[in-house]
Amino acid sequence: MNITLQLFGRFRDFADAPELHLELPGVTTTAEFRAAFEAWARAHWPDAAIALLQASAIATDTTLLHPRTPLPADGRLALLPPVSGG
Amino acid sequence: MPREDRIACHVIDIADAALDPRDAIAFVSDDAFGGIDVFIGRVRTRSQGRQCVGIHYDMFDPLALAVFRRAAEASIEAHDPQARCYIAHAKGKLAVGDLAVVVAFASAHRDAAFRGCRQAIEAVKHQAPIWKQEHFSDGGAAWSDGTPLVAADAATGREGA
Repeated sequence: MNITLQLFGRFRDFADAPELHLELPGVTTTAEFRAAFEAWARAHWPDAAIALLQASAIATDTTLLHPRTPLPADGRLALLPPVSGG
Repeated sequence: MPREDRIACHVIDIADAALDPRDAIAFVSDDAFGGIDVFIGRVRTRSQGRQCVGIHYDMFDPLALAVFRRAAEASIEAHDPQARCYIAHAKGKLAVGDLAVVVAFASAHRDAAFRGCRQAIEAVKHQAPIWKQEHFSDGGAAWSDGTPLVAADAATGREGA
């Protein structure tokens, strides 16, 4: 599946662009995406990013995605580290 | 009046405009309401024992607005079904003294106004996709650790990692 992953907060420090474009074959659920993306991140990002990834949520424009939730058809996701608004 | 017309939610880029609590008060005001509670979050000068010169707020706008709306709906549902609620948060590079967030909740009586406003700002702080990077007078900068977001299972309502 073709995935566009929007990056926010501290994740912006690990990438040159605000979005990643990834081809992840066989990925259909949020849990499968998380596993595949963690493998990608271990190859491209430092250990600090992996720890942050494990504390982060996956979302669409309107909702957080539970591990069992199928990915949206457009493959557009957001990676949300722990939040600190207000 | 339908509940959706009694809720206003905004994300405001500091490059375009500053938050104005008068907008919040004007939106929630109604002759039926005797109580308005307003929370204002402001960038302060010290954080983590260091001198702070500003905060950069990063935000996932569409989901933040959805979370604001759900927070307002939940506060109204919990404290006064007829209440009005306004939530606005700034994004971009704010200086010390700039306003980061304004929440207003109006109800017939003060108790519901206080409790509704408190519930709404706590939801904004802990559930909205907003990240702050503090900038210090020594030139350093640090992202705040923050609160992890956890999705609920649509089928069971239980939370999952």
